[in-house]
Amino acid sequence: MAAVVSLQNVVKSYTRGRQRVEVLHSLNLEVQSGEFLGLMGPSGSGKTTLLNLIGGLDKPDEGQITVAGERLDRLSGSQMAAWRARHVGFVFQFYNLLPVLSAERNVEVPLLLTKLSRAQRKTNVAAALALVGLSDRASHKPTELSGGQQQRVAIARALIADPTLLVCDEPTGDLDRESAEEILQLLTILNQKQGKTIVMVTHDPRAAAYASRLLHMDKGTLARDESRTAA
Amino acid sequence: MKYLPLIWAALRRKPARTLLTCFSIVTAFFLFGTLQGINVGIANIEKLLSVSHLIVQSRVNQGAAMPLAHEVQIESVPGVTAVAPFTIVIGTYQRPNNPMIIIGSDFDAMLKISSDLIVAPEQAAALRRTRNGVIVGVTTMKQYGWKVGDRIPIHGIAPKADGTSDWQFDIVGTYTLQQPDWATRIWGNYDFINEALATGKNQSVLFYVGISDPAKSAAIAQAIDDRFANSPDQTNTANEKDSIESTLSQIGNINFLVNGVVGAVLFTLLFLTSNTIAQSVRERTAELAVLKTLGFTDAGVQWLVLAEALALAMVSAALGVALSSRVLPWLTSGPALSAQGIGAMHVPTLVYAAAAVVALLLALISGVPPAVRARRLNIVAALSGR
Repeated sequence: MAAVVSLQNVVKSYTRGRQRVEVLHSLNLEVQSGEFLGLMGPSGSGKTTLLNLIGGLDKPDEGQITVAGERLDRLSGSQMAAWRARHVGFVFQFYNLLPVLSAERNVEVPLLLTKLSRAQRKTNVAAALALVGLSDRASHKPTELSGGQQQRVAIARALIADPTLLVCDEPTGDLDRESAEEILQLLTILNQKQGKTIVMVTHDPRAAAYASRLLHMDKGTLARDESRTAA
Repeated sequence: MKYLPLIWAALRRKPARTLLTCFSIVTAFFLFGTLQGINVGIANIEKLLSVSHLIVQSRVNQGAAMPLAHEVQIESVPGVTAVAPFTIVIGTYQRPNNPMIIIGSDFDAMLKISSDLIVAPEQAAALRRTRNGVIVGVTTMKQYGWKVGDRIPIHGIAPKADGTSDWQFDIVGTYTLQQPDWATRIWGNYDFINEALATGKNQSVLFYVGISDPAKSAAIAQAIDDRFANSPDQTNTANEKDSIESTLSQIGNINFLVNGVVGAVLFTLLFLTSNTIAQSVRERTAELAVLKTLGFTDAGVQWLVLAEALALAMVSAALGVALSSRVLPWLTSGPALSAQGIGAMHVPTLVYAAAAVVALLLALISGVPPAVRARRLNIVAALSGR
């Protein structure tokens, strides 16, 4: 398998007040195509920072990041935006749907950046909503959907542009047990049946059990790397 | 066009706030359109006013009646070519809230005095033959759906000599002007109205005076006023242009007033719109960050915010000016103005263009700062609530 994500000697720090805090220390990582990678670790260990770097939301201070064949550390802001639109689907803990748009409009948003016609966009949106089992909720606003349903809409939005990589930041963190299981099963299907590479940050060991590989982070470094059989 | 749902969604986020802001802009641009329309209308009146004939009014009070006997004396002033007296019937047509003013005059004299009156000779002759005949401006004909041959009943506000208050006028012709909108008067025969009046017989509220040489209008006006200097009914004579301008100047510098009011309204509106857009963007920090996460560029997000400001300002401004374009003609088509020969005012094309420019500036001034803030938004900081 080829590496979809490759980080070499990545250093990232933030300025908090007058202090400069190094969050990631010379980090090296490779994620193979088709992997379902779980990132675990205590708060402040650098999981989300790592996820932001892999997703092209932030840039490293030092080191190289190559994702889907592109050196992200060399891209400009607008190039990075175009790259994200093409290669990454994001799933957030609090769904981050646009509250005044219906489910189908929310899913359509990434396609507005493409040259697809309105009819093509509509067809793709219908297919994505069908994939997450929400065809009958297409016209509902986020406030009319349960947490699990909102997260499914967010997953449909993440998938709509057929990205190389799905980046999930605590996707079940705001859900009840049953909804969380449904979301994790959906992610597993996307990983196993559609071959989507997934990088997921989680605090929940039950969620982590769905990952095919688990990385434990601590104080900005990779503390443990476990390959495992997914649940 | 494909981004319209996003822009519309942003405006719908707080419908009450958007509606109130929209209402404020509509009101401001309604005022803008109406007041500028009046401003342009007054300028047009001044352009159309003639110096080639004089208006003689009472020196005591502009509306006070003068003896009809003045007509002969005015005619005898050197340089005067024709004199037309004015008496009026004030009443209502069909409904009590539908006022109407009919001017009783010497229409043949009016034709000599006012060369811009366009009327068919046979219809002018018909008025001469028909004592209760009237010649009606084409705009008034259209307004009430009248046609030549119709009889129009007017219920006068004052009783006639026969004790009744009802008048019957037969439409024998129509007149128009270079600017047909202004053909609003109803001309009847002085003698017919004068004979029927219970009070105010043999009087005239003003005299229209034709002169041979417009360059001598001031001297002729002075000569007319001198003629009545020792009369209990002294006159005040001026050419039409000076007369109307003098009346308008009593109101003040209308142009300055209009621009001052409009300027103050728009200046206040600027703060309101700026605040609305800025608040809307602040509330949507996370949503804008999500758009950037999904692949919208910094510039793209900036344009979306600016497009919101543009949509809000331009649509509301268009509604405001459209409303003024409907209301202004209605406001300025009353019988008092019609009787003065002043037609309905309209919002001219220039004002539409000016409103578009002002709305664009409003949108840019209020929209650029939040749009720039949205462009500079850091995704990671915004998503983590920092």
